[in-house]
Amino acid sequence: MSDGEQATTADSAVDDIPPLKRDRRSVFTRLTEGLKFIWASKTATVGLFLVLFWVFVAIFAPLLTPYTPLEQDWKNPNIGPSKAHILGTDELGRDLWARLIYGARVVLVVMPVTDNLWIPGGTAIWGVIVALLVGTTLGLVSGYHGGWVDEITMRLLDAMMAVPIILLYMIIMAALGASAINVVLAMTIVGTPGIARLVRSLTLDIRTREYIRAAETRGESAWYIMFVEILPNARGPIIVDAMLRVGYAIFAMGTLGFLGLGIPPPSPDWGSMVAKGREFILSGSPWAALWPSLAIATLVVGLNLLADGIREESMRYQ
Amino acid sequence: MTTDSKSMHPGIHQLKRDLQNGALSRRAFLRYASLLGLSTGTAYALSGLPLPKNAWAASPQRGGVLKVACQIQKITHPAQFSWIMPSNILRQVAEYLTWFGADNITKPMLLSSWNASEDLKTWTLNLRQGVTWNNGDRFVADDVVFTFNQWLDKEVKSSMYGLIGGYLDPSGVEKVDDHTVRLHLKRPEIALPEHLFHYPAMVLHHKSFEGDFLRAPVGTGPYTLETYKEGEVAILKARKDYWQKGVDGKPLPYLDGMQFIDLGGDLAPQIAALKSGEVHMIDASDNPGPVVMKSVKSDAHIQVLPVTTGTTRVLRMRVDQKPFSDNRVRLALKLCQNREKILALAFEGEGMQGQDTHVYPSHPEYCQVATPAYDPSRAKQLLAEAGYPKGLAVDLAVASEWTDVVRYAEVLKQDALPAGIRINIKTMPTSQYWEKWTEVPLGITPWTHRPLGTMILNLAYIADEEGKPVSWNETRWVDPEFSELLVKANGTLDVEARRQIFCELEKIQQERGSIGIAYWMNSWMCASQKLKQITAHPNLYMLFNEAWLES
Repeated sequence: MSDGEQATTADSAVDDIPPLKRDRRSVFTRLTEGLKFIWASKTATVGLFLVLFWVFVAIFAPLLTPYTPLEQDWKNPNIGPSKAHILGTDELGRDLWARLIYGARVVLVVMPVTDNLWIPGGTAIWGVIVALLVGTTLGLVSGYHGGWVDEITMRLLDAMMAVPIILLYMIIMAALGASAINVVLAMTIVGTPGIARLVRSLTLDIRTREYIRAAETRGESAWYIMFVEILPNARGPIIVDAMLRVGYAIFAMGTLGFLGLGIPPPSPDWGSMVAKGREFILSGSPWAALWPSLAIATLVVGLNLLADGIREESMRYQ
Repeated sequence: MTTDSKSMHPGIHQLKRDLQNGALSRRAFLRYASLLGLSTGTAYALSGLPLPKNAWAASPQRGGVLKVACQIQKITHPAQFSWIMPSNILRQVAEYLTWFGADNITKPMLLSSWNASEDLKTWTLNLRQGVTWNNGDRFVADDVVFTFNQWLDKEVKSSMYGLIGGYLDPSGVEKVDDHTVRLHLKRPEIALPEHLFHYPAMVLHHKSFEGDFLRAPVGTGPYTLETYKEGEVAILKARKDYWQKGVDGKPLPYLDGMQFIDLGGDLAPQIAALKSGEVHMIDASDNPGPVVMKSVKSDAHIQVLPVTTGTTRVLRMRVDQKPFSDNRVRLALKLCQNREKILALAFEGEGMQGQDTHVYPSHPEYCQVATPAYDPSRAKQLLAEAGYPKGLAVDLAVASEWTDVVRYAEVLKQDALPAGIRINIKTMPTSQYWEKWTEVPLGITPWTHRPLGTMILNLAYIADEEGKPVSWNETRWVDPEFSELLVKANGTLDVEARRQIFCELEKIQQERGSIGIAYWMNSWMCASQKLKQITAHPNLYMLFNEAWLES
């Protein structure tokens, strides 16, 4: 994954962004305009449909299957698609469709903090949000402040980026232990340097603008300037980058699960479903590995298409 | 070996009487008689069973290089092995004093025979003559004494120390002459010959060995070690002057050499290599499971040799920590094992159900005990009595690479819910699990096959002389009554009496022990049809001196 390089290509998009105006249009108008914007790009439309499919099944998972993801029909392990189990069952006789859509929930809709405590917002989403918070703050501070703060922060982040991502994930997870919170933490640590670099370069550009001079002359505090003046005007590239990052985060969850370092069993984690199902491919039951692989692929491709489409469209407007 | 009845161990007469009046099965007679130093041929003659001839169909061809898919791990001191795989490579180069095959009957290898005193405390080991090391030196008693001292050296940290250190001190190893070594034990021990085939028990060359076998790969085995590249390949070349002879009268082995090729830990590429003929077999000794067997059983070019084993997964609870210090909690968790379901889902039904005691039905001293039923309501009641009326939450440590262990954990988690036990499965990489396998409060540890029940019980469920649990006692469970009975069993020759003691030992372990054992695993050796004269060993040891390749 070379998210660092990809993300920084969005830098040029900031050039002609006007100072933020308060948007007085209704939510509905803004939504339809947004949809029209996406509709204009075929790539973005396909991406949107793929993503919406998974969001839909994740939200309505309990209504879309009579099974729970943990129910073990132990007389029927590793069977192919049938009337009773439309996608078949896994090695413990659990319904694969149920596991797949509850797995989407864990990725996109809820995060299991402990067995009994689940918070809204999927694990991948939380991973990106926390990484965005930390990365944006670091990027704004080092970009706006400059000097030794910038030097130290960026060199540290560069050092982190020098470590191969999978290796970094493995080190972090092996040290922290496998749990959803630690997956978020690992995604934050891995995602922060890229975001910080992007935000820093945007900040370096924006801080030379006249409205920043004006704010400084007004005597606004540095924090106000960073978060109220600079950040909103850098939002375009950050949003596109965040969209791509959700894709990376899902991929990272899959990788960690596959390596046995993700959300611990019996959670319907897509990556670990592939890892466990893989054992049975050679003995003639490919289903348990096939479906979650397809799920990861469609969702990640969907998010990438959506992000690419939006980026292309916004370039065209400029 | 001693064959005239005068020099026979007196216990053999007792064994013979037991055999005649039906108290002892012929197989158990063979096992004990050979442990006491009776030659296998004589033992078979006395038992009335025909001596099994290896009914190999065709006459062997010489030549060819056997290729094995096997992880090439870092190795230094053979006595420190904690995995079977490296021993399978080096066992072609170095040898053991004894050996046993799928029949669990111990036979001499570098020994020509042994005798035990009546009280089973003095053992005389007669070394095989005419054996040479691959550097030309003669194999002598000094080598055996040196090797025993390596095992008994605390600094070496060999698992052999845990196995024999309890009954043997370095001062008890006496060199009688160049070809005789006498062992003076601290307490009676019948399983000594079987201990000598524990996989780290390779005999080392006393002149050249300095702690790293790879620096001076001197052994008495049929091959010499030419190359050993960690993570890549190990290349072995046949010796011309090995002591065992083939049916054609020339020295073994029939093969020109062996190659162990590291294809990684993943099974899929190894299976693909076996199917395409790139390798002749897969060394699955540290990863036994039905996956390879199921993937190749329909392939006409591959032979599948099955064997039942005492290899198992032990649900172990540390008794020196809460909540498992309370036997009611331990019993409750054990009652949550739906054994039939666990065996079916974790190991695809390819094994036997376990009974929470670390003695398996093919152990000679096994006493039949009832298999506990799945009973979550009784478990719930026990928990309430122990002060957990609302149930309790526990962390269960498992290594994610052992997929059957993870499945066992997942089934247990589901089936323990009705009893009020909320299991939080903590997965970790295998290497991390081995770092703390004796430390975690609750975990599932793989235990390999051992031919005698006493061997395992002495390894994991007793205390040392100072009263501290022995190093592999991962649960810290020490029960005075159990320990006393076990010492008695170690020195009891009469099999019926021994089995009676084991009935009690098994009952104690079931009722107040620290482990749950839900299943015993079958094992398979899968190899190309071209590879002839091999048998499946319960530990998947590669005893391939007589193997040959069809061209």
